[in-house]
Amino acid sequence: MVDEKDYLVANNLNEAKVLMHEHCGNIHVLAGGTDLMVALREGKRSGRDTTYLLDISNIQELKAIERKKVTISDEDCNTNEDYIRIGAMVTFDEAAHSGLLLKTAGALCEAAKSVGAQQIRNVATIGGNVCNAAVAADSLSALTILDAKVVLEDLRGERVLSIGEFITGPGKTAINEDELLTEIRFKPLEDYYSAFVKLGRRKALAISRMNVAAALAFEDEKITEARISPGCVFATPRRVQSAEKILIGESPSEELFMEAGEEVSKEMVRITGRRWSTDYKYPALSAVTFKALAIAYNQAKSDT
Amino acid sequence: MERYSLCVNEREYEFLANANETLLFVLRERLDLTGAKCGCLTGDCGACTVLIDGEAKKACLIQIRNAVGHKITTIEGLSENGTLHPIQKAFIYCGAIQCGFCTPGMILSAKALLDKNLSPTESEIRDAISGNLCRCTGYERIVEAILLSSKMLRGEDCDV
Repeated sequence: MVDEKDYLVANNLNEAKVLMHEHCGNIHVLAGGTDLMVALREGKRSGRDTTYLLDISNIQELKAIERKKVTISDEDCNTNEDYIRIGAMVTFDEAAHSGLLLKTAGALCEAAKSVGAQQIRNVATIGGNVCNAAVAADSLSALTILDAKVVLEDLRGERVLSIGEFITGPGKTAINEDELLTEIRFKPLEDYYSAFVKLGRRKALAISRMNVAAALAFEDEKITEARISPGCVFATPRRVQSAEKILIGESPSEELFMEAGEEVSKEMVRITGRRWSTDYKYPALSAVTFKALAIAYNQAKSDT
Repeated sequence: MERYSLCVNEREYEFLANANETLLFVLRERLDLTGAKCGCLTGDCGACTVLIDGEAKKACLIQIRNAVGHKITTIEGLSENGTLHPIQKAFIYCGAIQCGFCTPGMILSAKALLDKNLSPTESEIRDAISGNLCRCTGYERIVEAILLSSKMLRGEDCDV
């Protein structure tokens, strides 16, 4: 049994927005519940002391993975392009096996497969993972190399934020009290080969100690694009552009990947400083980065 | 208290419960179906694994109202007219049970796998039960039992 709460059920998106508005500040969204149920049982309310829980599991609009034409009227992005849209209530199991995501966001599928265990993946949602904003969230580094954006909706309309803008600190996001995260969207990485490597204390049910998502694109045996995002090592998800620069324009080799891996570790120390754990994390992060790059490259090799 | 009805093992149950109760609590305390075990209550151990519409889920993490309208299968629903399910038989035959606390969840995770994939590899089996902790067996005989039950379910002659 968990804390005494009033449960409200929204059967469609509009109902959910109305309820969020009506009980603004006093309502918490229940997505898959794999974190929230535990927090409620322990008497924690994920930092929010609310009377109501909003069950959004009946909302069909939030359950689709689809390719869509979306017009984004951001400053930097005012185009009518193909986007992949992942509804906030898509479970990790659905994401891991989605043919569309396997083609356009391989690293995200790998990250989804690495979450918890089968029973957790059947329930836990990608929207919940992003909103919890845990430093060790498995989806965040993969979403960061996709340059993914989150869509936040309330009765007034919608906002689109990048993952970097959305996550403002460990466990903290820029979501307003009456907003719902409805979808995650990104441009398909069709010409890229991507990988996700996770280091945990055991294989299953492990929280990432560290993970790296990487994506590479090639032309004429040279790396033309590179994206690297380590998870768990920074307070908020980000790419390591200094390491990406090392790769771009070069021919792939073990030495090059090792150099890029080392640069990711250097960046970690530059940003977070030296800590007691640095002796371990520095070589480990280099090695995990190397492995992610090597896996991405091997996919490219086996593809040609 | 509110009135709920829930379909468990193809039988409709009507009962009173509070909205904040979990599926696990309802199964054990309201319906007297104690096969699903209460281990960690944090979604880690898998002892409370049940099938919801055929998918393995941890009953300690499911709100009762999220279970309503779905088909729940617990370990009590596996045998038919007193005859054990092939996975249950294989667990006994292989000695895959010691203290037995993880067994209902383990068998249901195996069933969710085998219902989708009748010829799983050992690694697929290990992945499917990776959310079920067993502190007695070391897993080897459990994996053996699931491999054996896949053969039985494929109709191969297994002499069990």
